[in-house]
Amino acid sequence: MPSLIDRFRKQDRKREQSGTFLALLAVLFSLSGPALAEGESEIADKRFEFGGFGTLGVAQTDSNDAQFIRDQSQAKGIGKTPSAKLDSLLGLQVYFRATDSLELVTQAITRYGPQGNFQPDISWAFAKYALIPNNLTLRVGRMGTEFYMLADSRHVGYSYLTVRPPVDFFGELAFHYVDGFDLVGTLPVGDGVLKLKTFAGQSNEVAPIGKEIFSLRRNPMYGAYLDYQQGNWQWRATYAQMTFKHDLPAPVSSLREQLAAVGATTAARAIALTNTTSRFYSAGGVYDRGPLQVQAMLSYTAHESHIYQNTKAGYLIGGYRLGEFTPFLGYSWSKSKSKELSSGLPDIPFHDLNVALAGALARVHTDQHTWSLGTRWDFRRNMALKAQVDMIRGKPESIFLYPTSTPKFDGKLNVFSLALDFVF
Amino acid sequence: MLKRAAALLFSALLLLTGRDACADLVVVANPKSGIERLKRQEVIYLFMGRWRQLPSGTEAHPVDLGNDSTERAEFYRQLVNKEPSEIKAYWSRLVFSGGSRPPYTAESREELIRLISSTPGAIGYIERSQVDSRLRIVFELSSSP
Repeated sequence: MPSLIDRFRKQDRKREQSGTFLALLAVLFSLSGPALAEGESEIADKRFEFGGFGTLGVAQTDSNDAQFIRDQSQAKGIGKTPSAKLDSLLGLQVYFRATDSLELVTQAITRYGPQGNFQPDISWAFAKYALIPNNLTLRVGRMGTEFYMLADSRHVGYSYLTVRPPVDFFGELAFHYVDGFDLVGTLPVGDGVLKLKTFAGQSNEVAPIGKEIFSLRRNPMYGAYLDYQQGNWQWRATYAQMTFKHDLPAPVSSLREQLAAVGATTAARAIALTNTTSRFYSAGGVYDRGPLQVQAMLSYTAHESHIYQNTKAGYLIGGYRLGEFTPFLGYSWSKSKSKELSSGLPDIPFHDLNVALAGALARVHTDQHTWSLGTRWDFRRNMALKAQVDMIRGKPESIFLYPTSTPKFDGKLNVFSLALDFVF
Repeated sequence: MLKRAAALLFSALLLLTGRDACADLVVVANPKSGIERLKRQEVIYLFMGRWRQLPSGTEAHPVDLGNDSTERAEFYRQLVNKEPSEIKAYWSRLVFSGGSRPPYTAESREELIRLISSTPGAIGYIERSQVDSRLRIVFELSSSP
C-alpha cells in the first residue's frame, strides 16, 4: 500500500505542474521548512491549493440623479445605463499548509475600486498559527476586516444569497482589510461553540472622494467580537474602531482652511478628521435550518468628527430554497443624525462660506430604507445566477451613500441587477 | 471519460431503484478513537468545521467522500438538510476569508475506510452494509437523535 504521505506529495506534484507561478511558490515554500514534519497526522488538508471566486454582474438604476455604488470604495456609481463595474470582480487565492499548525494564505482581488479602474489588490496575505490546536489561533499579516459579521467575505458572492451585501448597511464602509494580527479563542460552551476574536492593526487603503483620493493609510484599527453558535443559531456582537491619520481632501480641506483663515477655528477644528476616532458597534444573528436561512444585523456608528454623522443601520434577509432556486426578500435601512455646527460667522460677508459649511455637513446625511427582492439559482455546480430588484426609498436629503447626486434627486431609486457567481 | 459515464449510469440506476438503497448511512470512527457515540450536534460541528475535537479529546479529522458520490450529497441532506451547492457556498465563505477548512476528500470508499482504520481521530460516513470490524459506528443518520 503506498503511504498516504506519498499520495499527498503526488497530489502536490500534479498541482505544481499546473503553473510556473505555483511551481515557483512551491520551491520557495519547500525551502522554508521540512516537507512533512514528524508527528503530523496522516489525514491532513491538501498542502497546496489554488482557488478563486468571481462575479460577472450587470446592474442599472432608473435614475441618473444619483449614482449608485456598492460601497464607499468605488469612485463612480451607476445610473440608467447598464454597467458591469458595480459587482464584477475576480479573486484568486493560494493556500499553503506548511505544517499541521501553520498555514499561509494569499489572495488577490481585481474589482472596480477607489482609482476608478479594476486595479488588482492583495486582499489577504497572512500566516495562521495554531497556538493551542482548536482553542487559540493567531493570524498575522493582511486580513479582511470584520467590522460587521460577514464583512470579511463581502466579495465572495457565491457564498451568500443576494447579489451584493445590503448597501444601506455595508455601503458606508470604504475599507476591506487590515494589516496587523488577530487572535481567536474558541471554546465549547453548553451545546454550542463560543468564539472570541480580537484584532489590531492599521489600514493601508484609500477611498475616493469626488476626483480626489482620501487616504486611510496608517489609520490604527482595533476591534473584538464575541460569537456564539448553537444548533441553527449564530449570534455575534462586535466592536471596532478606526482612528484617522489624514484629513478629507478637497472640497472639505479647502473649506477647513478658509474657516481657519477667517478665525472660525472651532468650526474648522470640528470638521477635521485627523486624530479623531470612529466607533462601530454591531450585533447580528443568523438562523439557518435546512432550506430556510434568515439573518439580521443592527449597527450604530459614532464619529468624533463633525464631518460624519452618527448612523443607525440594520437589515433583515430571509431566503427559502425551493429545488435549485432560493428566492429571498430583504429589508434594510440607514438613518443618520445631523450634527449642529455653526461657523459663528455673520452671514454678511461670509454667506458663501456658511453655505459651503452647511453643504459639507448635509453631504453626509442618510435617511433611507430598501426593499430587496430576488432569487438565487444554483443551476450548475459551483455556479449561481442571481436576479434582484432593490427599491430604495429615502428622503431627498439622503445622499451620503451616493458619490454624486443632483438637486433633482428625490431619494427614490430602483436598482436592477443580474449576477453570475462562481468559485473554482 | 468512460469511467465517469459508467459512474453516472450507476448513480442513475441507484436513484431509479429507490433511495433506500443508498440512504442507510452511518458515521464511523476508528475503534481507538475513544468514543462510543456522537450526538447529531457533534457530527454537525465536526463536519462543518466549527469544532474539530472528538469528545474524547482526540483531534478530529473528518473525511468526505468525492463530489460525485451519492453518499456525500445524501449525508449532508440527512445531516443538515442542505444541498451540495449550499454546502459549497458555506465552505466558500470560510475558505476565502481565512476560516476553517473543509474535510479532506477521500478518493474512494476504500481510501476512506483505510484512512479511518489507520487514524484514531478520523471520522467519515459510509453505507451501513460496508462497515466491518476496522470501523466503529458512532452515529446513525436515519435513527440517531
